[in-house]
Amino acid sequence: MESFLNYFIPGITDGSVYALAALGLVLTYKTSGVFNFAHGATAAAAAYLFYQGYVEWNWPWPLAFLFSLVIVGVFGGLVMAQLARLLSTAPTVMTVVATVGLLVLISSLMTAIFGASDKKSGDFLPTRGPRVGDVTISYGEMMITAFGIVTAISLMLFFGRTRLGRATTAVVDDPHLLSLAKINPDAVRRLSWIVGSSFASISGMLLAPKLGVSIGVLVLIVIAAYGAAAVGLFQNLTWTLLGAFAIGVLINYSPRWFDNTDSYFLKSIPRNIPFLVLLLVFMVVPARHLTERGVRNVRPLKPPRDLPKLWNAAGLAALLVAAILVPQVVADYNITVYAAALGFTIIFLSLGMLIWTSGQISLCHMGFAALGATTAGKLTTVGFWHWLPGIGGHHPSWPLAVFLAGLIVVPMGAIVAIPAIRLAGIYVAIATFGFGILLEQSFYLAPVMFDSGALVQNPRPGTDYTLPTTAHRLTTVDGHLGGVFGISFESDKRYYYLALMVTVLMAVIVLLIRRARLGTLLRALADSPTALETHAANTTVMRVSVFALSAFMAGVGGAVVAGATQNASGAPGGTFDYTVSLIFVAVLGFCGRRPILSPVLAAVAYQVLKIYSPFDKQWAIEYRGVAFGALAILVAIWPALKIGESLKQRGINLPTLPRSTGPAEPAGGHRMSRSRRAASAEFVDDPNDFDPWDRPRRTAEPEGPPPSATAEALDGTHA
Amino acid sequence: MLELKNITAGYDTGRVLSDVSITVPDNATVALLGPNGAGKTTLLRVASGLLKPYSGEVLVDGADMTGKPPYKMSRAGVIHVPEGRGVFPSLTVSENILLQAAAGEFKAAFKTATKTFPVLGKRSNQIAKTLSGGEQQMLALNHAYVGEPTVVLLDEVSMGLAPKIVAEIFSYLSDLKSKGVAQLLVEQYVGQALKMADYVYVLNRGRITFEGVPEDVSEETIMTSYLGSLAQ
Repeated sequence: MESFLNYFIPGITDGSVYALAALGLVLTYKTSGVFNFAHGATAAAAAYLFYQGYVEWNWPWPLAFLFSLVIVGVFGGLVMAQLARLLSTAPTVMTVVATVGLLVLISSLMTAIFGASDKKSGDFLPTRGPRVGDVTISYGEMMITAFGIVTAISLMLFFGRTRLGRATTAVVDDPHLLSLAKINPDAVRRLSWIVGSSFASISGMLLAPKLGVSIGVLVLIVIAAYGAAAVGLFQNLTWTLLGAFAIGVLINYSPRWFDNTDSYFLKSIPRNIPFLVLLLVFMVVPARHLTERGVRNVRPLKPPRDLPKLWNAAGLAALLVAAILVPQVVADYNITVYAAALGFTIIFLSLGMLIWTSGQISLCHMGFAALGATTAGKLTTVGFWHWLPGIGGHHPSWPLAVFLAGLIVVPMGAIVAIPAIRLAGIYVAIATFGFGILLEQSFYLAPVMFDSGALVQNPRPGTDYTLPTTAHRLTTVDGHLGGVFGISFESDKRYYYLALMVTVLMAVIVLLIRRARLGTLLRALADSPTALETHAANTTVMRVSVFALSAFMAGVGGAVVAGATQNASGAPGGTFDYTVSLIFVAVLGFCGRRPILSPVLAAVAYQVLKIYSPFDKQWAIEYRGVAFGALAILVAIWPALKIGESLKQRGINLPTLPRSTGPAEPAGGHRMSRSRRAASAEFVDDPNDFDPWDRPRRTAEPEGPPPSATAEALDGTHA
Repeated sequence: MLELKNITAGYDTGRVLSDVSITVPDNATVALLGPNGAGKTTLLRVASGLLKPYSGEVLVDGADMTGKPPYKMSRAGVIHVPEGRGVFPSLTVSENILLQAAAGEFKAAFKTATKTFPVLGKRSNQIAKTLSGGEQQMLALNHAYVGEPTVVLLDEVSMGLAPKIVAEIFSYLSDLKSKGVAQLLVEQYVGQALKMADYVYVLNRGRITFEGVPEDVSEETIMTSYLGSLAQ
């Protein structure tokens, strides 16, 4: 009993802090329909500010606490309310881009200002207290628990019983109708965001003494709130509260279950409990209970402007020529950077295909890439498992190893797609976010991936390699990887061209898919899954296929990236860290939605720019996450800012690219589907057209019933 | 009294209303008729503040309310029951009534609602989206009963309902009229609307093409307005 109390009491204390964070998250999501991926970063920012006041400036803790609460909770909440207002008619994918961008921005800003090392904020609440048996229950723990429970219950009563409280749900259902009912929807949203951000801030400050002030740790711990929120199905405050307590107790109590195991995976389970709860909820709860908030008022994403065929062809040719010339014009010591950029281009290509074509979101793409990199590395150096009949112990050639690396990621993509089959877009994003972290925490350091040294050798074709010792390999191993068709790719230049060939191949696959019937079906899927199902298309197979294909390409991309540096690191903060998946979504978010050009630009922005002045300066490197995040947010809210319209009113017209003309355009490509045209005729989706007081505007009805993209796909017009 | 003076309004895609003026006197029922696309809904949206006009004035009891947000118009007594089902689908019936009522007036509002629409009392804990279309419309219409309006803007409240329910809805509208609540009625059931109305405006292509008492509305006026484009 006493040993249980030993875990139960800190569990309940942690649980009440998680509850605060989770209630804030659920509240803002319920009110705005915007799921805030930056919720944990908000908590961390508050902890840093508290640290600054309490430790650096020696303020009394209540003053530091209040200071941080006002800055992050109140002002931060007001900023978030404004951001959420601008995102209120944005599609789910853009809300994810924006809030993930904010997470990247805040994380980078905090690291740039306060440094990467952990800070100690010290125990500011009393650590003494009465003893129950062997267990000391500190007054600090009592205060936190009481505060958490009282606040949570007051919040539930307020939102469940009062008119203003109910308005928080109504504002997402129909803000205009709420406005007609004498309530200012903006005021309701502001209130919710201030409460939500304040709760996140308080949880961050309360966790800081125990965990240290570290952006990585605090972001992850507050994600325990995700698990609790999932228990409440992102709606129900009572279940969220209970979920938070259960997770708090389990995290504290469960490590003793795995005391006697050597398994890296089993030992990692306790800290992954929130994600396991999250994934479990997504797997088993009927989809009808996990509906997306606020989707009624969403405008469809405007397709990229259609360019003339000649422009497209010329653009692609120019890109290819530029890529071929790179090793001839850049300094030799920079070629490796460009080769890695090609690998990243492949990952961005796969991410772009998933997000922009099928409307599904992945926040774990670097997890796919990591598995690809480790598989390719191990196959070329260690060979197939010895127990495999026929091929056991053989070393495949580099192309085959890279292909197999992609292939082995396919089942993982399919598993990740399970929530995608069942659930609406935002939950897929949350599930993939959880999955990415789970993968890193439970598998990266396992022997099957990077192993305890967090490093895998990825020799280029035709090179010698040395495998270092690990916990499972007590001697070093020397070997030689054969060339491709007898050609060695040891030099940076040669490896660059090899990577370019793989990249071109992947780009061709992306273009072929877009132009094939599958491409039209995928766009139809993004348009309206229900309509597509009524046309007898199996959307389940399509969702799984596109996730699996995207995972395959990411795996190949990971292998190419690792080949550039000749090894792959699975260390936290390294190339394959889960945060990189988030940065990728932010970067791709601001590089546009073109299938080839945008991934190339994204890879250049992420990998290449940093080697050139002024981006190679220390400050530029430190703050580049801030720039990435800010740009992603800007792109997501751009349509709502109505910049183009206000410029037009002042007589300034922005230059525009020529449009493709004539009906005989290639099937697929960038062409706006007829259903999209019909949709844009009905709901004006001009990016400059936004009015918070206005519903999606209806204009004249399109002439005749427009065939949908789905119909185009199924009647074979695009086959 | 609600007055819309020389309203010109529209969306980014173009102008919908041109120099439209209508008046809804106290205690009067005014019907606004016209074919699809004439601008009826747009005019109601201007009247309730959902859409800012390019030019013109919106006056409530003589006070200039042009460009005021909907919640301020609503507080001034202009209640808009919008096209479609004007309910919050995720909330229960009683929560919907809570939001329709003035702050602190829930109990009285709930009593009025269940007395007027007994079915709402039976379904008070049911989520609004699970109600039938007619029940949802009654819940929406309840706003006009409990929102303490001086004028109610009703946008095709009979749309998509079974004839029996439509008759029921119109009996509620007559009841509202008898309570002295002014109404601006947009309706597809022209005959019913004319029967109830004290005054009629016909709107076509964004302009008022007829105004007068219902007795002066000839079948020809209606036919020309609704089928004008075909006749030409």
